[in-house]
This record gives sequence, structure tokens and C-alpha cells, in this order.
Amino acid sequence: MKQQIGQRALTSLISLLGLVVLVFFLSRLTGDPAALFLPVDASEEMRQNFRALHGLNDPIVVQFGNYMADLARGDFGESLRRARPALDIVLEAFVWTLQLALITMSLVAVAAIFVGSVAAFTVGSKFDRFASLLSLVGASAPDFWVAILAIVLFSLQLGWLPTSGTGTIWHWIMPVAVLFIRPFGLILQVVRGSMLSALGSPYVKTARAKGVKSKSIIFVHTLRNGMLPVITVMGDQAAALLNGAVVVESIFGFPGVGKLMIDAILQRDFNVILAAIMVTALAIFIMNLLIDLSYALLDPRIRK
Amino acid sequence: MKRGKYLAATLLAAAAMAGPAMAQDSEVTIVLSEELDLIDPCMATRSNIGRVVLQNISETLTELDVRGDGGVMPRLAESWELVDENTWRFMLRDGVTFSDGTAFDAGDVVHSFERTQSDANSCEISRYYEGIDMQLTAVDDLTLDIRTDPAQPIMPLLMTLLTIVPSETSMEFTRDPIGTGPYQLTEWNVGQSIRLERRDDYWGEASDVSAATYVFRSEPSVRAAMVQTGEAHIAPSISALEATNPATDFSYPNSETTYLRIDQMTAPFGDVRVRQALNMAIDREAFIGTILPDGSIPAVAVVPPTTLGWNGDLTTVDYDPEGARALLAEAKADGVAVDTEFMVVGRIGNFPGATELYEAITAMLTEAGFNAKLQMVEVAEHEQFYSRPYVEGTPYLIGAQHDNSRGDPVFSMYFKYHSEGRQSGVYDERVDALIDQATAATGDEREALWSELFALLHDEIVSDVLLFHMVGFARVSESISFTPTIATNSSLQLSEIGLE
Repeated sequence: MKQQIGQRALTSLISLLGLVVLVFFLSRLTGDPAALFLPVDASEEMRQNFRALHGLNDPIVVQFGNYMADLARGDFGESLRRARPALDIVLEAFVWTLQLALITMSLVAVAAIFVGSVAAFTVGSKFDRFASLLSLVGASAPDFWVAILAIVLFSLQLGWLPTSGTGTIWHWIMPVAVLFIRPFGLILQVVRGSMLSALGSPYVKTARAKGVKSKSIIFVHTLRNGMLPVITVMGDQAAALLNGAVVVESIFGFPGVGKLMIDAILQRDFNVILAAIMVTALAIFIMNLLIDLSYALLDPRIRK
Repeated sequence: MKRGKYLAATLLAAAAMAGPAMAQDSEVTIVLSEELDLIDPCMATRSNIGRVVLQNISETLTELDVRGDGGVMPRLAESWELVDENTWRFMLRDGVTFSDGTAFDAGDVVHSFERTQSDANSCEISRYYEGIDMQLTAVDDLTLDIRTDPAQPIMPLLMTLLTIVPSETSMEFTRDPIGTGPYQLTEWNVGQSIRLERRDDYWGEASDVSAATYVFRSEPSVRAAMVQTGEAHIAPSISALEATNPATDFSYPNSETTYLRIDQMTAPFGDVRVRQALNMAIDREAFIGTILPDGSIPAVAVVPPTTLGWNGDLTTVDYDPEGARALLAEAKADGVAVDTEFMVVGRIGNFPGATELYEAITAMLTEAGFNAKLQMVEVAEHEQFYSRPYVEGTPYLIGAQHDNSRGDPVFSMYFKYHSEGRQSGVYDERVDALIDQATAATGDEREALWSELFALLHDEIVSDVLLFHMVGFARVSESISFTPTIATNSSLQLSEIGLE
């Protein structure tokens, strides 16, 4: 097991390095940040000064060498626009995204597993059909539209919730609810399918024949075996959230990493782009590791 | 049902106690379109930074009267006079202190200017003093001489742009702006909000608003909704689509002019008939009230009508596709390659409806016999087409917006129309000479020269396809009194807000 983790860490480190090299050179191909930071009528002298100030006048290979040397010392460089260390900016934003992702995925896990299991157990019933419809709607609703609709309904019409921002628990309700919908729809479907096939397997038939209670069949025998595909999909969905929920963060004014990354790309804020990519990549790597570990916990065969 | 009502009441009560988002008594909340990346006074000409910093935290020696026609008004300078052709003397206000308690004097002005010119930062304000050799001298604590070469007749106007910081301020960008203004920065929650509080020791009249919180929302419908629900008092920019409530929604000229620049050095645009035909091919009226909001004005110059030297005699080119075709045929007969394919380059998201506007224009040009195709590009790519050295290969017309709310064409004309200007497509000695003369002239002569330049560019040279002076929309809560003006695009003085 330890060896597996070690191997995984090594391959992830190599991919992370590859990512840094790729993003470093690709981002520098996209254009001159001086053109975006300075006003259109800025003089050539101002542009030269800006580039000199940020080391953008050196040949690109020298820039890369400097960047990697700084990185080795744990220095991610300064933001070109904000006159602050890039890593600080990214970590501040990442904390918001992490909270959003954690809260949302915990709620999704509980709700989707519960509804999906019950639907599988009562397959063909009204509840099952309703759950399937819910899942379809959830998986296909565009979050931009849902978010605006939610603001119109709950803030403008009913006046129950603040439109956007942070500060109180009420500010979290709409963003979490909007982010909840899609993974809930997808995972509910996976839970249902996986549980159905588990329920049809010989060991469940045996358990039923022995007179084991339904509750026990669902929650003790089937759930554990049906969880592997569910965890895989949940991992994908959680990774998408960690990468930043750009639309939802933008609409609700959440200062998360998704919006930060998009802004940084549009503004050619190279150091922030790189720092944001490294931080999210690291987070996704850690999450994948946790998923592997949970596989091992659920299925003894994987442990060996 | 009862339960639902109970829940609603509980939520409502909780929302009312929700803290910073809900303003109380004399505090206001202002919702801006994007997060502030910097808050340095020397970047205050950037619109959202200006709305927070300019004349709330920082002050300038003079200010431009945008509500009346008072011209340049005193602020930190009480008066000024011309000592000789090249030297202005400013008499500074006594008893002014910065928010850190230090006294304001002429040395601070000298430092503020030097700071904008320093290599240790990339201050935007410096561009307004480019090409001028400026010597600032503190004669005594309250007297400042500015000696320039060449002479600067509009020095008092140029001083509306120099934000004053204490002489202790380092050359690098600061995150703690200190100014002499009526408010001071008390809180900056990065990514979320900025809070300003009123100063007790401000030299001028105390304003009604005791504190202001600025929040950032990129979605225009959310900004509009926030004023409607009472979470904010002013949303300085909402979209035309949202501006449907006459009680709260204002339209105001936002000092932007939309136009297509013609580069006369590329064929077939060297021929004046082709340039005239471009202008005649576009039905400007058709855009107003459809793609663009009512209130947009067909443009005859690259600066808005509030600018010095505005020439009221100039008229918009009438829509005349037949006439355009006839002119093209005439040019073709003389050997001009009017069939040459060219691009109309527009910037994605430049203003609401930008893509649709450029699509329609390209269609109109094609209709009139031009071989035009549309190319929408994002901001960094647009900049490559917009500024020298221009993109070579296919000829193109570039669609762009220019902002001049500063009252004088000097901030526009050199770089837009001088042969050496960074974004000029005009190469004409008469234009160069007029720009040079007008820049150096004063009073009525200056006004007349600018006026003459506008006419020359519009009637004879046909320098651009001028499109529209644009309008912006703001939503203002009924609980305060505030009227947006052309200046709201770059500054928003809290002292102008009245509480009802």
C-alpha cells in the first residue's frame, strides 16, 4: 500500500512538472501583459518599463530558468496586476472554493446515496420514476440559468435570501444549492444503477432467501459493494468543483479560485495562472489519493 | 402554508441582520463590475479604481466641473496664475492634513509627480505628462511652481489628474492609500469588499455619507438586483436590458465613442471616396433603440459633445448605399482596387451588443459593394490590431471605443490622429500642424483650433467611420439622491450622495 502511494506521488510530481512547463510556455505565447495592464495610449517607454519591472524582457528560456529557481525556493512570484505574491492570492481564493466543494459534495453524497438506494430498492415504483426524472433534470440544467432564476425567485420575488456575496450562512444557500444540482443528478443515477446490479447478484438473493431484512440488505450488504463506481464519479465531480465553479462563483460574487483563474488568464497574469494551476492540481492529486485509499477500504482485493 | 410563511419571516429577519451587505443609516453600498486589483492613487484614472480612490481618498490640485460649466475648479490649490509662458504658479490650501495626520504641503505635490514618473512602478497617470519636460518646485510650503517645456496652457486641467500622496509614500505600488480626501480606507477584504469611512479632520465640508462599502459582482443582472433588494444603493453600470425601472434607472453619457479606424496607408483606404463610401454605407439610426440603447448619439468626432472645441456644425453622414456604390464605381474607374477583401475587426464583449453591431455593419458594408468580412477577437489580440506596429497582410478596419471625459481633446488627438500617434491612421501635415498649434494654444484660440481640427478630420480627411457616442446605465436606490454624470465612468464622489 505504502509503495503504491509512493509511486502515485512520484508520477503526480512528474505530471505536475510537465504541467508547469506546458503552462509556462503556452501562457507566454498568448501575448504581452503590458498591452493589457497599461492603457492603450501608454507610450513605448511605459511598456518597456513595465516589462523590465516584471522581468519580461529576458529571453523566454531565461525567464523559465528564473521561475524554476524561484519555485525551488517556494517563491511563486508576484502577480503582475495586484502587486502581491501570487501564491497568497491563490490560497485565499482556494479556501473559498474548498469550502464550497466540501459542503456541496457532502450534501450530494448523503442525498444521492439515500435517494438512489431507495429508488433501486423500489424499482419501477412512483418514487423510482420521480427520482429518475429528478436526476435527468439535475444533470442537464445549465447552472448559469438556474443561478439567475434562483436570484429572481428567492431574492427579488420572495426576498428570502441575499442575492450574492459572503458573510452569513444565508449567503451560502443559493451557491451551494446551484452547485448541488448537477452532481446530485449524475451520482443519483450511478447509485441507482450500481445498486440495482448489486441487488440482482447471487449474494443478495441468498440473503433474501435467508430472510434478512430489507434495510439490512440495502445498507449492510449492497451499499458497500455498489459504492466503487459511485466513488469514481464522485471523485470526478469533486475535482470539477475544486477546479473552480467559475459561473457560480462569478454570479454569486464568491471570491473563489475558478473566477480567479479565468481573470488571470484573460489578463495574462502569468504567475497567478501558474500558482492557481499548481494549487488545484495538487488538491486534485490529494483527492485522487484519498479515493484510491477508500477503494482499498471498501474492497479487500485492492489492498493486495 | 403557515409553516412556509414562518420560514419566510425567519429568513427575512436573518437576512436583515446579515451584516455588511445590508447598509444602515448613513452608510451606502456600491456594487462595482469587477474586483479592484490595485488601489494605488496613481492608478486612479482606471474606472473602478477611480470610483473608489479619486476624490474620496485622494484629491487633486484642481477638479473639472462636470455638472455645470464652471471649467477647472480649485481643490487642493486655491488659485493659480501664469508667471511666464512656461511657468504656472499654484497657491495651495492651508490647513489640509492627510488621513495619517501629516500636513499637506508643496513638497507632497512634487513627490506625487515624481512617483508617477518612477521606474519602480507602472503608474498610469504618467502618460498624461508624456512628452512634456516638467520641473516642479516647492517655492514655499504653500506655493508650487511648475515649469514646462513646451509651454502647457492647460496645466490647471492636467492637474485634475495628479492624485496627491504624502511625500513618505514609497515608489512601489501601495496597498494602503493615504490621501487628503474626505474618506479613508479602513478595510480591504480582498476579492470581497472595500470599506471607506468619513474623516473627522477633513478640511472641506463634511458629507452626508458616513461610510461606504464597495462590493464586486461581474454579472450585470445581479448588480441591478442588489439595488432592488436593498443590498446596495448604487450600481454604476448595469446593462440596458436591466434598466427598465424609471424610478431607479438612469442613463448617462459614459464618455465612450465607438468608431472604426481607417488606416489610410493600406489599399483601398487611401482614396477619400472609399472612405466616404464606408461612412455612407452604414445606417446609424437603425442601431439606436435596437442593438444600442436609446440615447446613443451618432458621432461626428472621437470625443463626446462635452469636450472643448466641440464643432456643432458637423453633421452625421446620411445613410446612402446607392451613393456609396456610385463612389466606389467612380474610384474603381480611376484604378482603385475597391474589390480588395478587408476585415472588420471587433473586440468581443467590448460593450453590450458589440458582436451584433459589428455583424450588422459588416453586412451593410457588403450590401454597399465592399468585400468585408468580420473578425471578432479578444482583448489582447485586439490590442495588436489597434496600436502600432499594425498587423500586416489583410487590410482591416478596427472597431474600438475611445474614452475622453477629461474635457479637452488634447487627451485624444495626438495619439489618434497625429502621423506619429500610436493609434493613428491619418498621415496629413495639416492635421499634425493643427494638433501642435492647438496643444500649445490657450483660451478662445485653443477652442477655435480644436474646432477646426474636428471639421478637417470629419469633412475633408474622412479619418474614421465614426459610429456612436455611447450611454451607460446606472441603478440608484430611491433611498438616496444621486445623479450619475459623464464623470461617473471614472469617479464617483461620495460627497455628492444625498441621503433622504
